[in-house]
Amino acid sequence: MGDVDTAASFAIFAAKQGGAAEVTPDHILLGCMRVISRFGIAVIGAWSVDLESLGVDWVRQPAGPRPKVAYSGETVALFDQAARIAKSTGAASVGITHLLAAFASEDAGLMGELKRTYGITNSSWRAAIAALEQAEPGSGEKTQAPEYLSPEQAAEALGIHVQTMRAYIRSERLPAYRLAGERAIRVLRSDLEKVLEPLSSGAEGKKEKEN
Amino acid sequence: MPFYVVKRALPGVTPEVLQSAGLRAKTCCAEMTGEGQPVRWVRSFFLPETAETHCYFEAGSKDAVEEANQRARIPFTQITEVEEMTPEMV
Repeated sequence: MGDVDTAASFAIFAAKQGGAAEVTPDHILLGCMRVISRFGIAVIGAWSVDLESLGVDWVRQPAGPRPKVAYSGETVALFDQAARIAKSTGAASVGITHLLAAFASEDAGLMGELKRTYGITNSSWRAAIAALEQAEPGSGEKTQAPEYLSPEQAAEALGIHVQTMRAYIRSERLPAYRLAGERAIRVLRSDLEKVLEPLSSGAEGKKEKEN
Repeated sequence: MPFYVVKRALPGVTPEVLQSAGLRAKTCCAEMTGEGQPVRWVRSFFLPETAETHCYFEAGSKDAVEEANQRARIPFTQITEVEEMTPEMV
């Protein structure tokens, strides 16, 4: 289900954007996270990674003449490792989770940065990727929509960035509730339409302060 | 478009390394085609007795096939244009 072709395409695009001559493991990691992300946020285990904070630019085209990029030697080794992981799990082909799992013991570059920022260890990364793999085939379970939503789920339901959703909550345009004694915030699904305005009623006036 | 065979000598290669190479070839071909330089990996045959691989590509030119393999970082010994023949053609 994970689309390695798309991840590779994103990775090559990121390399071209950065004017790099080679597609490195950092580009591959960004490509994989972009494939599994929703509205700019890649959720892996307990970690929500905002891709824009990692420098992902969704639209900027590479400057100058079309660069030609090749996979780096490290990226070749990463693909080899992903293929070995795929084989060890009995998978017929290499999936996005196999590529992500291949980063588990990587301490340099972007993966090292993620490990330090989020406190990720080799084993916690492997466990999170394994859970991601388990969650993918069971997408049929998503038919029962929860009544109380996290800001991330609420943003997804409306098709907006989670930062915009947080701004709605901060400005009290959307009622939100804090779980007793916890930091976690929930919003009621039925409240979501409070932030929807019909286009006919003065669309100009609604672009107020956004943060 | 013409077909080409890319010959490789890969002693000691494992099925996983071949799979990894295939993935890289496929994605590099897609990228080059998107750039306006059409090249497609058609199929490959591994010859266990000699540890050789024959990979067939369809492309606008031999240079495009060479570039796709360089981008994918898959070593090769020879690239030759081939004539296609199938049972339906005879």
